[in-house]
Amino acid sequence: MKALVLLSQGRHPVSAKPCLLRAEAQAARLAAGLDARATGLHAGPALGAVREALGRGLAGLTHLRMAADADPVPALAAEIATAAPDVVFAGPRGQGGEDTGLVPYALAHRLGWPLLPDAVALVPGVEAGTMVVEQALPKGARRRVTVRLPIVVTVHAGAPAPLPFAFAKARRGDVDVRAAEGPVCAPEGEERPYRKRPKLAARPLGGTAAERLAAATGGSAAGGRVLVRPAPEEAAREILAFLRQIGMPKSAR
Amino acid sequence: MSRPRRDPRAERVARQIAAAPAGTGARPRFDLFASPAAPVSRRDPRAYWAAARVVGGARLRFDLSLLGQGGGPAVHEPAGEPAPKAPPVRIIEDPAFLVVALADAPGGHLTTQDRQLLGAARLLADSGGGAVLLLASLLPEDAGAAGADRVGVLRAADPDGRADALAAAILAHAPRHVLFPETQAGGDLARRVAVRLGEPLFCGAEQISAKSVARPARGGTVERRCAPPRLITLADGAAAPHGRVPHEARVLDLSLPEEAGDARILAAESVPADPATVALGEADFVLSAGNGVSDFAAFRALAEALGATPGASRMVCDAGLMPRAAQVGASGTVLEARCYFALGIAGAPQHLQGIAKCEHVLAVNTDLHAAMVERAGLAIVQDAQLVMPALLQALREEGA
Repeated sequence: MKALVLLSQGRHPVSAKPCLLRAEAQAARLAAGLDARATGLHAGPALGAVREALGRGLAGLTHLRMAADADPVPALAAEIATAAPDVVFAGPRGQGGEDTGLVPYALAHRLGWPLLPDAVALVPGVEAGTMVVEQALPKGARRRVTVRLPIVVTVHAGAPAPLPFAFAKARRGDVDVRAAEGPVCAPEGEERPYRKRPKLAARPLGGTAAERLAAATGGSAAGGRVLVRPAPEEAAREILAFLRQIGMPKSAR
Repeated sequence: MSRPRRDPRAERVARQIAAAPAGTGARPRFDLFASPAAPVSRRDPRAYWAAARVVGGARLRFDLSLLGQGGGPAVHEPAGEPAPKAPPVRIIEDPAFLVVALADAPGGHLTTQDRQLLGAARLLADSGGGAVLLLASLLPEDAGAAGADRVGVLRAADPDGRADALAAAILAHAPRHVLFPETQAGGDLARRVAVRLGEPLFCGAEQISAKSVARPARGGTVERRCAPPRLITLADGAAAPHGRVPHEARVLDLSLPEEAGDARILAAESVPADPATVALGEADFVLSAGNGVSDFAAFRALAEALGATPGASRMVCDAGLMPRAAQVGASGTVLEARCYFALGIAGAPQHLQGIAKCEHVLAVNTDLHAAMVERAGLAIVQDAQLVMPALLQALREEGA
């Protein structure tokens, strides 16, 4: 089993210093669990904080040195086709470039491999050349997909925490630097310094002032049903009827 | 703003008596008693206020946002039950273009972000006489009220089949814009469609208008802004939901080709969330204990029987009766649950902040005037210690 992790030039959300993204460190852990010789792959002008991945479980790094405004997808696809890994890991949204999260999708489309998003665990399947990928769904649900290799996988934030950083391994790991080229892609539109914007909420219109106030503060305007001092048995019946009406205790039945 | 503006110069010219021949040096003359060409519309202060009057109710009330919106006759209805009046449905028969909105709509219910998405789609469509086409796996009932002119079903379940069907629909109907929510499912579908069509994707837009969209780039250091492209994904809170004018929500038959499943995917099985182990922030149904609960064995048994994730108030966590991870509220976990069941919780403001996003709230409390009783959809003024065994017994009888 051969695993490869796509790495990007992350930026710390608080200090704004360059760092390895948490999701990519989690991907490095999942890759190290499958393949002790898992390598990382980065395309960009400089390696910078990507080196940190060597201390998070990866055995080596490949750096495709290219201009900052070049499209990395063709070079990455060519590199992956030569390395021929079974699993390519990526974070949900790489940073440092356009931050669109499109690179794994473009790679999977170009290579003709299936892409499985939001993976939290990978186990080799019973049949040779297959993999069981556990995907995270909203509200804590999971989906187990058996898929034929090779695959591209993006990692969910709920995956196991990154391995602790090992300084000596980060120093020891080997980095293979190669020059690469890519078509220049200039993003359209203008660029400005980032400004955080307020989230727009629903503006309640009409109704009485009391209704508008209730809508703004999140309470229910009309108020619900209130039962004062019912017998406990009657209260239980009412509660179960209410729950059934909203279709709630699904797992109970 | 609402009244037409007068043009005094035009009125003066209209009143001028035929000009004397040039060179005679006669001064211009005006007929001050001639009736104007367009009669001056007089302002009717009664109709002006009557339009804003909220009909019904014992007290006279005005909705100032409606002030001067047209002078209907003053409504003098006897106080009592107001007649239910359905607002007129806006129908766009022959749209200039289509704006497609892809809703997640889990189980046929529009989420908050789906409503924001429809609000943004409405904004783009109304700028040029377009119509909004809502696509979802299950058609939501309130799609028209949320602002959809047309609705269509996107049946395919597996992500690749869904993306193929959507790409085919985009090529067939050539919409001007396609909006996706930047959620797990919506963002995945948007990226798959973008690589299939080979078009750029403007993802995670934080601001949207008919003229421009903006999003963060390069690790959130810069903001990229351009005219709205075809494929856009919207971040949470980028647009406000559509207002009150309901739209038609006509069902459109897209006649999408049935896609065969991906041969490389050998099996897929869904594993429902285990309420006992799921993180509190992700749970769908939370049963919470407060100071009114003393029998925690019964509380845990009830949580298990109901299939709910156990939570607790700050009082209970401070006392060490429940782990700190179970604390609900501003200093604990802010819930995303659809249903919240509070046992013996009065509802401090910090606790109510934690359940602000919960759709249905049930409360059992001894105090009729507690804030939680006011917040709840069903409130029972009774001792939680008595209700818990009765509820367990009722569940047992139901199961038997």
